[in-house]
Amino acid sequence: MAARVLQQCVRSFARPSLRLCSGNLALRAAAAPVTALHRPLSSVADSRRTRWLDQSRISSVSVLCRHYGDLPPLTLETIKDRVMYVLKLYDKINPEKLQTGSHFMKDLGLDSLDQVEIIMAMEDEFGFEIPDAEAEKLMTPEEIVQYIADKKDVYE
Amino acid sequence: MAASARSQVISLYRNMLKESQKFPSYNYRTYALRRVRDAFRDNRNVEDPKIVDTLMEEGRQTLALIQRQVSIGKMYAAQKIVVE
Repeated sequence: MAARVLQQCVRSFARPSLRLCSGNLALRAAAAPVTALHRPLSSVADSRRTRWLDQSRISSVSVLCRHYGDLPPLTLETIKDRVMYVLKLYDKINPEKLQTGSHFMKDLGLDSLDQVEIIMAMEDEFGFEIPDAEAEKLMTPEEIVQYIADKKDVYE
Repeated sequence: MAASARSQVISLYRNMLKESQKFPSYNYRTYALRRVRDAFRDNRNVEDPKIVDTLMEEGRQTLALIQRQVSIGKMYAAQKIVVE
């Protein structure tokens, strides 16, 4: 009776693993007639289980590492790409005219209201606030990239 | 337009856009953003300081109205509609 209860416990522990279930079937068959044999066999099953758990822990850690990954680290290149991407999507900018050094008002024909909207789009893209005083000085994509790099502590 | 008035207008524009983005309802949000942009663009050539002042006062009241309506909208949040 006690052996059966023990088997039940071991089985419920080992349920996730198919291999362990088959191992436990063999164990139950072996343990039913001879209760004395039960202990060594169960220790075998235990070692198997721990080995299996170790393997699963290792694999789950590697999978989790992949999930924990934050955004790729910011570099000047990626900041520049993202800034240019946001600017290209802005409907009043002609993507063909857009250069890293082009002035929003002089070269691209935007006004101060458009510039405010561009800065707001940058805030959305990079997820931080740009205060008014700084925002009105940012007039070229280059300056925006430099400002964001400074704020995010990105250097060459 | 004086420099201080200019920066005030720009900061009002920024604040209004920011507050309008907080509308939980898609319809009100897009309407508010469009309305704010259009209103500022319509009056971009106004030079008379008196008119600028009255417009600024109107804008401040509208900003307060947007803030009130956003908090009311948050109390009665509805399901998102298909376009979102």
